[in-house]
Amino acid sequence: MENNQNEMTHSESMALIASMINKAKNRFSENGLLYLWWGWLIFVCCVVQFIAIYFFKENVWYVWLSTWAMAIFQIFLIKKKRSRQMVKTYTEELNAFVWLDFFICLMLLIIIISFSGSHQLIYPILLVVYGMPVFLSGVILKFKPLIFGSICCWAFSIIALFIKPQFQLLLVAVAVLIAWIVPGYLLRSKYKHSSH
Amino acid sequence: MDFKDLNPILHSQLRLAIMSLLISVKEAEFNFLKEKTNATAGNLSVQISKLKEAGYIDIIKQFQNNYPQTICKITPVGIEAFDTYVNALRTYIIP
Repeated sequence: MENNQNEMTHSESMALIASMINKAKNRFSENGLLYLWWGWLIFVCCVVQFIAIYFFKENVWYVWLSTWAMAIFQIFLIKKKRSRQMVKTYTEELNAFVWLDFFICLMLLIIIISFSGSHQLIYPILLVVYGMPVFLSGVILKFKPLIFGSICCWAFSIIALFIKPQFQLLLVAVAVLIAWIVPGYLLRSKYKHSSH
Repeated sequence: MDFKDLNPILHSQLRLAIMSLLISVKEAEFNFLKEKTNATAGNLSVQISKLKEAGYIDIIKQFQNNYPQTICKITPVGIEAFDTYVNALRTYIIP
């Protein structure tokens, strides 16, 4: 592109602005990997804990410690991604704050529920909290599968009130499948499509 | 109709392209601007300096993994100027 100041007509200026804004806007940066990793991890934790409780009468709560390993791995991953990133968008920044907000709320709720002793409410409340960042990310990214997933999380949180706690684990696994894993694969495919 | 004067700093192909890209993102690296505008590094560098002199963009020079990195970001003055430019353009285009 040259810097031909005098040759540009008004219509050309407008077309140039629109074309550049589109070039910046059409970058779809969400590759869906974090949805997939977190989704599968939580899905496996729920299923393993359900099998242990239902078939072996053992509470293997420590499977959830794997989420801390994942959180540390994620910090490394984000640092690496940022060092390669050529552009930062407002969408990415907003989305990152939504997930940070989710993480803080999740930690606080787990502490509050543990202290209050209302353990039967942990999965319904987790489902409510899971729905929040998924819904906001869906709105920010204009991605309907995430919005649908969040509505399922909220519907499941009500259903969870009427079923036994060990079966609530299966409900969380299904919610994660619908709200994180399936949209994760769809986001990945959209990302691959937009980068080619 | 009242035709408004177009800002000469923005009424140039490459500088307008740079500003249009920067208005859409929070910040962008020099190579991103070079890739999207298809400009040469030298020309891009000169035009970026002119936009900085006008106070329309901020340039942050830093090192990332031992490599120099130039990051550009539009300023509030730049946003205002871009907005005024687009409104002035409309007076010429929209009947």
